[in-house]
Amino acid sequence: MSSDSLTLLRLIHLISPSLPIGSFAYSQGLEWLIEQRNIRQPDRLKAWLHDVLTHNMCCLDIPVLARLYAAYAAQDPEQQSYWQHYLIASRETHELRQEERLRGKALVKLLPHLGLDIDEAQAQALGSSQLAAFAYAAASWQISLDQAALGYAWAWLENQVLAATKLIPLGQSAGQAILAELSPGLVESVNQGLNITDADIGAACPQLSLASSGHETQYTRLFRS
Amino acid sequence: MSITTSTTLSATPSQAQFAGWQAQLKLGFEARGQKTVLSQRQRLGPLAVQRPFYPEGAVCHVYLLHPPGGVAGGDELEVQVHTHPQSAALLTSPGAAKFYHSHHLPAQQRQHLSVADGACLEWLPQENIFFPGARVTLDMQVHLQGSARFIGWDIQCLGRPVIQERFTSGSLLFRSQIQRDGVPLLIERLSIQHPHDLDRPAGLNQHAVFGTLYATPADQPVMQTARECLNTEQQAQCGMTLLDGMLVARYLGPDTALAKACFEQIWQAVRPLIMQRDSCIPRIWNT
Repeated sequence: MSSDSLTLLRLIHLISPSLPIGSFAYSQGLEWLIEQRNIRQPDRLKAWLHDVLTHNMCCLDIPVLARLYAAYAAQDPEQQSYWQHYLIASRETHELRQEERLRGKALVKLLPHLGLDIDEAQAQALGSSQLAAFAYAAASWQISLDQAALGYAWAWLENQVLAATKLIPLGQSAGQAILAELSPGLVESVNQGLNITDADIGAACPQLSLASSGHETQYTRLFRS
Repeated sequence: MSITTSTTLSATPSQAQFAGWQAQLKLGFEARGQKTVLSQRQRLGPLAVQRPFYPEGAVCHVYLLHPPGGVAGGDELEVQVHTHPQSAALLTSPGAAKFYHSHHLPAQQRQHLSVADGACLEWLPQENIFFPGARVTLDMQVHLQGSARFIGWDIQCLGRPVIQERFTSGSLLFRSQIQRDGVPLLIERLSIQHPHDLDRPAGLNQHAVFGTLYATPADQPVMQTARECLNTEQQAQCGMTLLDGMLVARYLGPDTALAKACFEQIWQAVRPLIMQRDSCIPRIWNT
């Protein structure tokens, strides 16, 4: 066994759905879309997730993750702060920003228990964004950027499928089939996302924004976004 | 110091047609006594403003004009607006801006709005219409300082849905960034490169018209007021959210008139809370 094995294990741990940072509590607009009957069938769900994957994930999360990862590896506070602000400002609704911040705070609280030291000033900054906290952990543990980005995107997709499975509802195997079918596209989106230039970062999703805004006033809600 | 200069483009029409129009307009607003004056007006090429007027006393109302009537490939339009401390300006336009098929070069439109501490700016242009084949980059930058107050919107119409014309070719890039004291409040970037980008379920979801209204500073009561001024049908097409002190309303649907109605209603409802002024509908909207 090499030190790579431990690094891989760190990544698996970081993206585990059992990590107590409350990821399961967020649907990112799916709860509203499903209530509105926009998404009732597995193929509609798959099309939606594929779209968010190839735009939001590929053109925003992954390229910003790459820049934050580099900024933590280089201990460059200016770049860290720039991209943290950039990411928050790119989250299009209150609930999506809240999710980014609350999951960030929860992950920052947890990281010392996983053996990563974080000082007070760092905790404040990292706690503003789950993506920043994830990038910090990945850079500190020297998980390769490619693998960290893949893991990040996978964790997002798995969480979305779990939420939809509960909400539609879908059978467990139908949900797992969607995960398997979207996996090759996920790899492609992550690869593309890692090669995007600064000028091409960002991918507004108007229907996603509307779904997320709609969720803010949804009468019955199981999820926090 | 106030400067009022006016320059016209020296290129001949034939050159201009080949390379496209280069148009630039710089406007500055300053508070003088009880009212705001248009203290700076620098123009280059076919972008102009009418003489400012004062339908509600203090606020300087200005209509932006683009005499060629449309934007073609190679055109570059730039508008810069600066409102100095304590000034209040409202800008609108008399009609939709049309972006035509780009034969050779893409067109560009840049808008840079800066609002000083204690100043107010209302930026309420009519919609942009993009004809099939248009290739355009639109950039909007809004820089707010301190307690600056801002209400703005933009409405984009792809193709002409009224005649069932879709935006089946061309490419559009919409970029906007709003910041306060150097910290970004909202960054948006939407790119339409292929006809199938119109159908993206999480994107435009087959709708031809989308628009965004921004209003800041805003809090929960402002958003509540905005929500309550729309009827149920409007609420289904117009989502609202509060982003770190800024109300953002987004329209996604089939019709510019519906988008404008939503935004005008929201503007009228929140203006007293944000600008401490009752609404004063620009007369040109009724013509």
